[in-house]
Amino acid sequence: MTALFAILLALAAMTGAGVVLSREPRRQAIAIGANGLVLALLFLALQAPDVAYSELVVGAAALPLLFLVALSVLRRGRRPR
Amino acid sequence: MTIRRSLFVVLAVAAAALAVGGLSGLAPFGHYPGPYGDIINAVGTHQQHVTNMVTAVTFDYRGFDTLGEEYMLFTAVTGVALLLRDARGTAANARPKRIRGRPRLGRSEAVMTAGRWFAPVTMVYGVYVVLHAQLTPGGGFQGGVVIASALLFFYLGEGYRQWRETVRAPVLDPVEAAGTGLYAAAGFAGLLSGHAFLENVLPLGTTGKLVSGGLIIVLNLAVAVAVAAGFALLFVEFLQETRQFKGERT
Repeated sequence: MTALFAILLALAAMTGAGVVLSREPRRQAIAIGANGLVLALLFLALQAPDVAYSELVVGAAALPLLFLVALSVLRRGRRPR
Repeated sequence: MTIRRSLFVVLAVAAAALAVGGLSGLAPFGHYPGPYGDIINAVGTHQQHVTNMVTAVTFDYRGFDTLGEEYMLFTAVTGVALLLRDARGTAANARPKRIRGRPRLGRSEAVMTAGRWFAPVTMVYGVYVVLHAQLTPGGGFQGGVVIASALLFFYLGEGYRQWRETVRAPVLDPVEAAGTGLYAAAGFAGLLSGHAFLENVLPLGTTGKLVSGGLIIVLNLAVAVAVAAGFALLFVEFLQETRQFKGERT
């Protein structure tokens, strides 16, 4: 295993932990996008550029967007009386 | 220690033991044990006249599986449209939904400028990825989602009104269906000429040329059209939810 894989795997673990550990939903949506970006780079390093394309767009753009849209229409917390 | 916590500890140890036991039998990192990939790499270019073996597998050797995935995506997008399609946000001048206690922030100039610059470049790149599926990494699905993400940059650059006037759901619906239908229809080319369903019966062309691979090009284009329109439709339906009904009070 080269240094490249070690760095990318460590980044994947760190961004994955970031998704779990961030408690604020909007930050979580951005964190899952960062995780998707790292996974796309990992797939690229593993010589799977076709999968990297899909992961880049679906994981780093489309998925966070759907979460952000869902969050933007939710009322959170107690409604003020 | 509560019962719940002790149960968790026991099950976690058991799950960890199972995971370690299962993973220890795997081939070492980077080692490829199966014969199929090597066989495809050896015969693929000769049989299908394409240089991207992933495309050869998805649109020829395993073309029938891709047909299933194609209809899975179609069904998913149709489901989203059925669930979310209502009067909300259909007018291009629909106002953003307001939620009490949450500020409504406009787009910054940096986001607008970046969106306007990235949209056309991403669009051209997506078309490039689609057209070169048989030569270089990429293909109908990958190029299709890149094209759809170019539409998102367009949204960030121009705002909701311009976006809705350009990316229209009534246009996307038939395009999505046509792409999906074309894939299945192309399969009948084999049956009509006395071969198997989805068999590559078109002339294969010269390896390395843009037009090569026979039926692969047709199937690839069908997937690209269906995926681009399907994802665009998904974005339209979701972003409509961020608008309010006409005359809605909040």
